[in-house]
Amino acid sequence: MTGAGLAAAPGRAAVLPAWARFAARRTLAAAAVLWAAATTAYVALLLAPGDTVDILVGDGPDTPGIRAGIVAEWGLDRPQVVQYLSYLWRLLHGDLGRSYQLQRGVADVLAGQVGPTAQLTLAAAGVGVTLACVIATATAGRGRLARGAASAAELASVSVPPFLIGIVLLAVFSFTLGWFPVSGAEGARALVLPALALGLPIAGVLGQVLRGGLERALEQPFAVTARARGLTERALVTRHALRHALLPAVTLAGWFTGTLLGGAVITEALFGRPGLGQVAMRAVTGRDMPVVMAVVLLSAVVYVTVSTLLDLAYRVIDPRTRG
Amino acid sequence: MRRAAALASSVVLSAAVLVGCGAQAAPQAGATSLTWAVETQPVTLNPHLWAQNKVRLLVFNQFDALVSRGADGSFQPWLARSWKVSDDGRAYTFELRDDVTFHDGTRFDAAAVKANLDQLLKPGYNPAVAAIQLGSFSRAEVLSPTRLRITLKRPDALFLDFLSSPYAGQVSPASLRAAKDLKFGGTELAGTGPFILDRYVQGQELHYHRNPAYRWAPPGAGHQGPAHLSEITYRFLPEAAVRVGALTSGQVQVIEGVPATEVALVEKDPGLTFLRALNSGTSFSYYFNTSHPPFDDVRVRRAFREAVDLDAVLASVYRGTATRAWSVVARSSPFYDAGLEGRYGGNAAEAGALLDAAGWRQRDAEGYRVKDGRRLTVRSVSSAPFVRDRRDVLAQAVQAQVKQSAGIDLQIRIVDQGAAQQAADDDQYEIFENSRGDSDAGAALNLILRGDGAINRTRYSDPELDGWLAAASATSDPAERRRLYAEVQRKAVEEQALVFPIYVPGDQIAARRSVQGLGFDPVTGTPRGAYDVRVGT
Repeated sequence: MTGAGLAAAPGRAAVLPAWARFAARRTLAAAAVLWAAATTAYVALLLAPGDTVDILVGDGPDTPGIRAGIVAEWGLDRPQVVQYLSYLWRLLHGDLGRSYQLQRGVADVLAGQVGPTAQLTLAAAGVGVTLACVIATATAGRGRLARGAASAAELASVSVPPFLIGIVLLAVFSFTLGWFPVSGAEGARALVLPALALGLPIAGVLGQVLRGGLERALEQPFAVTARARGLTERALVTRHALRHALLPAVTLAGWFTGTLLGGAVITEALFGRPGLGQVAMRAVTGRDMPVVMAVVLLSAVVYVTVSTLLDLAYRVIDPRTRG
Repeated sequence: MRRAAALASSVVLSAAVLVGCGAQAAPQAGATSLTWAVETQPVTLNPHLWAQNKVRLLVFNQFDALVSRGADGSFQPWLARSWKVSDDGRAYTFELRDDVTFHDGTRFDAAAVKANLDQLLKPGYNPAVAAIQLGSFSRAEVLSPTRLRITLKRPDALFLDFLSSPYAGQVSPASLRAAKDLKFGGTELAGTGPFILDRYVQGQELHYHRNPAYRWAPPGAGHQGPAHLSEITYRFLPEAAVRVGALTSGQVQVIEGVPATEVALVEKDPGLTFLRALNSGTSFSYYFNTSHPPFDDVRVRRAFREAVDLDAVLASVYRGTATRAWSVVARSSPFYDAGLEGRYGGNAAEAGALLDAAGWRQRDAEGYRVKDGRRLTVRSVSSAPFVRDRRDVLAQAVQAQVKQSAGIDLQIRIVDQGAAQQAADDDQYEIFENSRGDSDAGAALNLILRGDGAINRTRYSDPELDGWLAAASATSDPAERRRLYAEVQRKAVEEQALVFPIYVPGDQIAARRSVQGLGFDPVTGTPRGAYDVRVGT
């Protein structure tokens, strides 16, 4: 994921020096963020109560022999610094280690789970952004009734816990109407309800921000000029005002990346979907640190990628930021 | 607004249309396939490393053990046709079936059994089983392809229990050697069971198809020959309400794990059947830490039990679906001592008198008892992954009762596994809550009550108790074991009040009426595998 996001930028370096400087800065910053994330995760593991051997022994029988076996198997008798450096070294080589709990390579555990989570979060982001745009452009500057209704719906979707939204969606559209399956193998049809459950809160926040931005833009002098030129209200909103309103909304995209990744934990468990959220949840409660650290790193990669893309998006949307 | 609504619904609709194709291809292969929603995902599918009772039903779909258990708990043939035990109880000679093949086509024989035992003893493979279940194991000798002799270092009443457990699920030695991911198992390991695992999607489902060659069902099974179902899918739905919804809407045909809050709904539905059974092993109990005040005083331990009106607590938390426990041994075990029923508990006046006698006479401003300026505080520390069955709610109900009727300050801490272990190591807890699902309650008691037991959290040690436990583990005479375990229970529960037994854990199955042959393992009380299950009349 980093490869795609970060390697693309230096490619343009020769053509656009300003971009190259920007890309180099971003790449360095990204590497620093990733190193910090890896180290923080590692330190958190060290500081957490209970030692690794205890975690590996779990609730099972516990004898000196068993403990010695575990220490030898996981190399826990080496000095802390050596363990940390060897962890970073292995990380650099793409080796995420072995899961304590699942008895498998972490890369193996995560490999099958990235796809479903990417599918779910992208679908949810799609639902959120589409609904927000549609509702905001349709209600901005309209009558009080329409705005009130939209705003109430937005408030509800933000305030109701995603878990409850999911249960209600399931109860209505799956258990009662039978339109969509609860889970699993039935491909994209099974994606509709989880994507809605995860996407609605985003639509709520984004919709409100977008409408606010649109309404402010519509009061600007350029809007009066545009109207005077005979532009229809719809063209004014979609072609001119939306661009102004988009900037704060794009900033929010960073926030909703976090919401999506966090919300995926609940949504995946509720709908019995495979995915990183479920894996992370199990790893955290079972103190399966190699998996937790890998998920932290992966999230950091996603964040860094998204925020880099956002910075680029600013330049496209707002010519003033091109410097 | 109207336009907005129309747009919004068209977005949803087009999404539905887009994805409509490829759906609704539900396999209806003559109604011999079935989808079963389960609560728990396996951490491993290798039977040797089995660690979750909830996964037992999956293990015996794919694997068979050497020995089976009858409805009365007796040991019966399975892959072993018969066996003889030497007079000193140390040598077991097994006659094995000669007509059994693994899913990978290799033959099951004495060498395979030996290879499985050797694998279990490999360092770093399953240290717990090597140390406990195989602690008495000395050697295995292949006498002929169908004859195997196992010699023990000392008599071990639990050895046949081990040979009937998932740990003794026989895995093809060839697949043991070839498996890339041995510790996880999965589709790489070949068993001899009635179903063959062909798909595992982590976080989603397991899929099995029938083993057409299966002719070696245990005598206690409902039929012989291949399984009735041609295919079965187990879908992981950790959320109970979602499992029940999926069942009532017909998306799955069987579910396990029906919480108390949903039982009434399921029982009312004429299209569904509901089954339940009590688990084996130990009751869900609070164990008192006797190593430091206040529970170093038996009067305070007694007072805690007297302060709780357990029947009322269970009725409110589990809506009448929980079975009260009276002993550390579960009611379903042959070793359960019914003589303990009604002997203690639920007497608030008695609790007050006991605490007064123990010196906890004063009360502070909040109504808690105080002695020498210290409040009567006890901490229950539990590990979040083990908190299930509304045990957190139960703890709150107990907390309210002991405060109200005895002035005891019960603090409930639900923490992660590492922190719970730390509290146990540092002796920073007064109450430890636990239940175990061992098929033989004796195995659990050895871990919990023996002075040097691995999870002895009462920190109580008594040579007499240890002696009874050791004697009961060494003899295989059921009457003698029952007598010894009765002594153990009387001492631990009644005389020393080391433990506050609360309820007997159970399992539940709910299914569409058309599904037949569901049931529970007679020994463990956990749902049985799918071998006898069929759809239709």
